[in-house]
Amino acid sequence: MITRADIFAIAFAILLLPSLYINLWGEAAAGDSAAILIGGEEYLRVSLTEDQTITIPGKLGDSIIEIHNNSIRFVSSPCRGKQCVHSGWLKEGGEFAACLPNRISVAVSRADMRYDTINF
Amino acid sequence: MTPSTSKRPKQAAGQTPDPIEIQSAALIFKTTRDDHRIAWLAALAISIHILESALPSPIPGIKPGLANVISITVLMLYGWSAASWVTLLRVLVGSIIIGTFLTPTFMLSLSGAVASLIVLWIAYHLPGKGFGAIGYSLLASMAHMAGQFFIAYLIFIPHPGLFRLLPPMMTMAVIFGIVNGIIVNTLIKRLNDT
Amino acid sequence: MTSVNRLPHYLPATLFISLTALLLAACSQPEPLHRTQLLTLGTLVNISIWDENEERAENAVHRVEHSLTEIHRRWHAWQESDLTQLNRDLSNGKTTVLPDDATALLKKAADLALRSEHLFNPAIGQLINLWGFHSDERLDGPPPSSADIQALIKTKPLMTDLNFNVDGINSSNPAVQLDLGGFAKGYAVDLAIAELRADGIENAIVNAGGDLRAIGRHGDRAWRIGIRHPQQAGIIASLETVGDESVFTSGNYERFFTYEDKRYHHIIDPRSGYPADQTLSVTVLHDNAATADAAATALFVAGPQHWQAIARQMGIKHVMLIDNDMKIQITRTMAERVHFEKEPEKKQTVTLIDL
Repeated sequence: MITRADIFAIAFAILLLPSLYINLWGEAAAGDSAAILIGGEEYLRVSLTEDQTITIPGKLGDSIIEIHNNSIRFVSSPCRGKQCVHSGWLKEGGEFAACLPNRISVAVSRADMRYDTINF
Repeated sequence: MTPSTSKRPKQAAGQTPDPIEIQSAALIFKTTRDDHRIAWLAALAISIHILESALPSPIPGIKPGLANVISITVLMLYGWSAASWVTLLRVLVGSIIIGTFLTPTFMLSLSGAVASLIVLWIAYHLPGKGFGAIGYSLLASMAHMAGQFFIAYLIFIPHPGLFRLLPPMMTMAVIFGIVNGIIVNTLIKRLNDT
Repeated sequence: MTSVNRLPHYLPATLFISLTALLLAACSQPEPLHRTQLLTLGTLVNISIWDENEERAENAVHRVEHSLTEIHRRWHAWQESDLTQLNRDLSNGKTTVLPDDATALLKKAADLALRSEHLFNPAIGQLINLWGFHSDERLDGPPPSSADIQALIKTKPLMTDLNFNVDGINSSNPAVQLDLGGFAKGYAVDLAIAELRADGIENAIVNAGGDLRAIGRHGDRAWRIGIRHPQQAGIIASLETVGDESVFTSGNYERFFTYEDKRYHHIIDPRSGYPADQTLSVTVLHDNAATADAAATALFVAGPQHWQAIARQMGIKHVMLIDNDMKIQITRTMAERVHFEKEPEKKQTVTLIDL
């Protein structure tokens, strides 16, 4: 049982998805640093070139974040869903993983994304 | 028990009213067979909600939102008011039982539910009866995801990077929205057969 | 629930979907930001314009490209240009008649050289040439001999040797050879901004090979400038420009060659004839790009011990100097504007300076 309006709705959804990817993902290029955010505020900025493991105190407990091989990931998190851990390694500028219950998120960035222009 | 719905959709008119009167000190409640069915569906929605949060999801980090199947079914059979009743009850009771009441998980669940109910209200009250279960389910699912992101950005993570997660999540919302719509169609067929 | 698929029945739903789609499309309008990259001035010039009128932005960029190419052609230090012609005349003791804008440019350079105690010295063209930086790419090879360098130092070419007469310009010192390397870029950026403004552009950045001037804003926020780390990939600090400001950095990483494991960079100390070796980078924030350009060079040469006096004389208030040990000296006014990417490490101390 499918109506014509249903088909229009499906068509709308299928047209919307590619535009979402284009608008929100943009071109891919390796990031140079990552911001670790607590509740949207930048708590720490780390370079992706220095391998390290960091413990971040969140609302529920400690989230453990690892940097290795120019990538960053959530190793563990005290939340239930573990969406942040399932996000895996983030590498490209703009990539993002969040643990909403613990209010901690990680945003990979490139210098040319954070700034309008670079002085050197 | 549902709030008295003045506007009963035509589809629900299959059953004859079967009033049972409960007398209390000051109030008289009338419940119908429909009310029982809705209550039963609400209980089912709550159970699914709890099961979904307890069982591991087929794709880690993404929930298919099967409880929405019940919301759409109720919408199709008993109208928007009943559907919103079932949906909000499910989010509220479900979170109290799981123990996430007033946590971010609950807030996201609630904002998704409210967003999908708003979109369903518009879709349902459009003149003519354009959408079927699949359309409703798809629109609700997408609104649910959009509403969650909006609230997550507003309250929890006001960082534009958050929207980087939107495209894949919206893709899943579209897929599960359509699949759930198909399930609703099957479910309604079964319910009508009984 | 049998739905009849007659036209009026699904039309409202379809309209609803279409309206939603239109609304989403309207909300996701791209920003009115126009970015152009020009290959001119011997470098990459990035122009960012925030303007609702795309055609106006494009036309303005065309005009800027034309002017910058013109400047490059006139002031090139080693390819045949008005400047090489002038240099020949100066060494022959001839008097040259220059257009007004060229005279003004040289007068300004002379004034800045004087105020910098000749640490910014565009008259040392011969020295720069001796070091081999009068080529698009200085290949690795031995540095010039100490005897050759000393010989040139003794000739003492200074901007004050230039005489601006009514009938033209000449030099009382035949050793004066102009190289506007630490100045022409700033001058060109100033000119580009003036042209954008004349075309009605009020929000823009002109970045010529890393040095820039920014006017106005990026929509409802300020322009954000990242300052490159002098020793590693990435950004050391950032700032937001206010109104009309230039950000110029002289760094030892910009142009250099290596010989026998030693690096020789392009910022030559006119006193010693060798690359100034106490500093990694100097960043100057100032309203005028040409002044900022000259000041960044002069303060780099002055080095960690002496830059403050020179900055005062040149009227520069916003300075950040990073020395060879990654120690940062920063003026209080600059520190208020700059945001460090991460908390400076222990070994990397920051000293606040009151000018």
